[in-house]
Amino acid sequence: MDIKIYESEKLKEKLFYKKMESGLKVFFIPKEGYTKQYAIFATDYGSIDNVFVPIGEKDPLEVPEGIAHFLEHKLFESPDNNLFDKFSKLGANVNAYTNFNQTAYLFSSTDNFYESLSLLIEFVQNPYITDENVEKEKGIIAQEINMYMDNPGWRVYFNCLKAMYNEHPVKIDIAGTIESIQKINKELLYKCYNTFYNPTNMVLFVIGDLSFDEILKVVAKSQKNNYDKVEEIKRIFPIEDKKINTQLIEENMMTSAPIFYIGFKDLDTGFKGEKLIKKDLVTNIILDALFGSSSTFYNDLYEEGLINSSFGGFYTGKESYGHSLIVGESKEPKKVYERILRLIKEPSEKLLLEEDFNRIKNKAIGEFLMGLNSIEFIGNNFIDLYFSDFLLIDYLTILESIEYKDIIERFNKHFTEENVVLSIINPLE
Amino acid sequence: MNLKSERIKIGNGINLNLVKTDKFKSNLLSFYFLRPLTKEEVTKNALLPLVLKRGTDEYKTNLEIQKKLEENYGADLSVAINKRGEKHVLRFTVETVNGDYVGNKEYISDVFNLLKSIIFNPLLEDGYFKKSYVDQEKENLKRRIESRINDKRSYALDRCIEEMCKNERFSIYPLGNIEDLPGIDESILYNHYNNIIKTSPIEIFFVGDYDDKMVDHMKEMANIEREETITIPREQIMAGSKTKNMVYDDLDVNQGKLVLGYRTGIPYEDRLYNGLLIGSDILGGGPNSKLFKNVREKESLAYYVTSTIFKYKSIMLVDGGIEFANFEKTIDIIKEQIEEIQKGNFTTDDIEISKKSLISSTKSIKDSIFLISEYFFSQILSNDNRSLEEIIEDIDRVTKEEIVEAMSKLTLDTIYFMRNKKAMNIN
Repeated sequence: MDIKIYESEKLKEKLFYKKMESGLKVFFIPKEGYTKQYAIFATDYGSIDNVFVPIGEKDPLEVPEGIAHFLEHKLFESPDNNLFDKFSKLGANVNAYTNFNQTAYLFSSTDNFYESLSLLIEFVQNPYITDENVEKEKGIIAQEINMYMDNPGWRVYFNCLKAMYNEHPVKIDIAGTIESIQKINKELLYKCYNTFYNPTNMVLFVIGDLSFDEILKVVAKSQKNNYDKVEEIKRIFPIEDKKINTQLIEENMMTSAPIFYIGFKDLDTGFKGEKLIKKDLVTNIILDALFGSSSTFYNDLYEEGLINSSFGGFYTGKESYGHSLIVGESKEPKKVYERILRLIKEPSEKLLLEEDFNRIKNKAIGEFLMGLNSIEFIGNNFIDLYFSDFLLIDYLTILESIEYKDIIERFNKHFTEENVVLSIINPLE
Repeated sequence: MNLKSERIKIGNGINLNLVKTDKFKSNLLSFYFLRPLTKEEVTKNALLPLVLKRGTDEYKTNLEIQKKLEENYGADLSVAINKRGEKHVLRFTVETVNGDYVGNKEYISDVFNLLKSIIFNPLLEDGYFKKSYVDQEKENLKRRIESRINDKRSYALDRCIEEMCKNERFSIYPLGNIEDLPGIDESILYNHYNNIIKTSPIEIFFVGDYDDKMVDHMKEMANIEREETITIPREQIMAGSKTKNMVYDDLDVNQGKLVLGYRTGIPYEDRLYNGLLIGSDILGGGPNSKLFKNVREKESLAYYVTSTIFKYKSIMLVDGGIEFANFEKTIDIIKEQIEEIQKGNFTTDDIEISKKSLISSTKSIKDSIFLISEYFFSQILSNDNRSLEEIIEDIDRVTKEEIVEAMSKLTLDTIYFMRNKKAMNIN
């Protein structure tokens, strides 16, 4: 069998890989001595994939906002209506999530792993969607949307995305709106399902004290093979202007103090793989050096009472979009914003010292290593990186390869006054 | 792997608990200080770790502390203030990368020294805490308390507890009260700090790989001379409910938050406690539970609806996020489902599923360095000497009769509802 093994001496971890005939890719990391096992079955399909050419058709289709997430809910239906029972009887804890880029179905267990794995593959590959159960779901998801509407942290985040992006669907709420989900029906859900849940578009990741041979046997037996072969799914993204949409979005809602998101839109996009991951790491190191708890900026503003310990910055980026976010709570968010604009005008060599860079890099290495204690951390990050054409096991190597000059170069390109936005949620009067 | 903790008395009311394992890529060291949960000291207790974290005799500023942590491969320092029943717990923790992974076995002693410095050698100014640190952290704590409202679900749960346990110490919010803050200054807080160091029971946990030298170092960290420590009383358990409460908060929200507070009357030492845990799980544990099936799947009334047992205080809370108009309907279904369990209308499968779920999460403790220390700490709090394996056996032994008996003791005490008058057109 053509099994590939990747090994990292530094991490003391191994990664096993096999591509099944169906096109499904299966990965496994053994974790000796662990009690828990974890499996994620994920598709390269998230909320941003809302215009595409459905399988077997010629013309692009725009689907209602929130449909990927709606579909995730609906895959938990089965004719006998007892999928949760089956997992529960095995003692496995099943769940799922949808984000901008992927939909993932997962479970964790301490016993009966292989039976649970078989169940996971079967339910994801055998949808049971009816007009009736689609209607029922609208009430549940409406409550989920309402819950997010009452969450100031979520609202300030999405307003920031709306300020940065003109057209890109990353600005759309993952669950959609109460209005948009009304337009979802069985036919549309099946179109999305048939297009994106093809095994060639999916990956299965397993971790735990298990055997890869056994895993492959279960996969071979449980998976469906009668799929149409697809070359590549045609996803259509609108052309996103380099310019930001608007500089400021302010809103009032029930919250104790003003909260803010400051976003720097990334203009350097359009690639995946190592280059993307390196850019991600470099940018996060810069943000930590400039705004983290060991930075002069953080400590000055903290002393002045302008920020509290919730303040910090992080970068997130995929092939078609990317942004740095600096977030926090403040009596005067606009003052914090002004100070940041003033800060980034200073010469980079003065702002970002080499010794700071070395320290922050050390920290990033330590944090990653500690993260590897958690099989959930490994699983979720593996999937996320995988869909960016990168293997988690190579992460530390890239991190260690980052040099001081990378930091300076990126800073000068990314942190400019042209691509910055501010989102504020103010308390009610 | 069988989890074992070696408990060594290293001082008056001070114990060092060692859990040896090389399974993780890190090591964890935690100091737990135990206090009674009282109105008089809650705010001071909550403020203290925030001030201590600001600077020490050796590392005068947060900036210096943070740089030191980062140099040491991003050692993670965290402080927490929690209530466990009617006990107030202050926790100081550092987690460090196992030296094998970074080719440096020695650096951990540096991190130990830093933690010691934070807890035992605070930065002083004219004999007390530094005034500006205390003032700033008072302001930060005030804002933290105010920000309770931002997470509506946990705010609703807290509010239900507050109303339900109005005359009991369990109602005290662990981060304290804004009204107390003006009365606290650097000298009052410093005196309180000395009292805490002198009189609090202290439990220290280390989970990871260690040798004799490290153990000596840990012993030396908490080498304090002191007299008798305080004893913290066990929680009071009220069975039944004297007055039934109905509480509304009117806020500008989109979703109503409903919480039903029940008295269980079953202490954690009781033979029926495991039956109660399983009963609550059958009611509103996972997606197989009666509430998930009936409130969510059948009636589409909620996205989340769950039931939780508060171990030390013997209460059960059921909470869900719903449309304002579905208030009464949801309450009816919840009451109906509890009655079903009380009548014994649940299957052997339901019992098995809940047992498996509880057993699986108990077993999972072994995979988390943090949960291991929390687990042994909670065993100490509840004077429970059972091993994980014994706990699992006890769960497995529970019978249907015990579940029915336990759940039949539930009495509804308080109904809390967060609603929006404007959206409901009520005046």
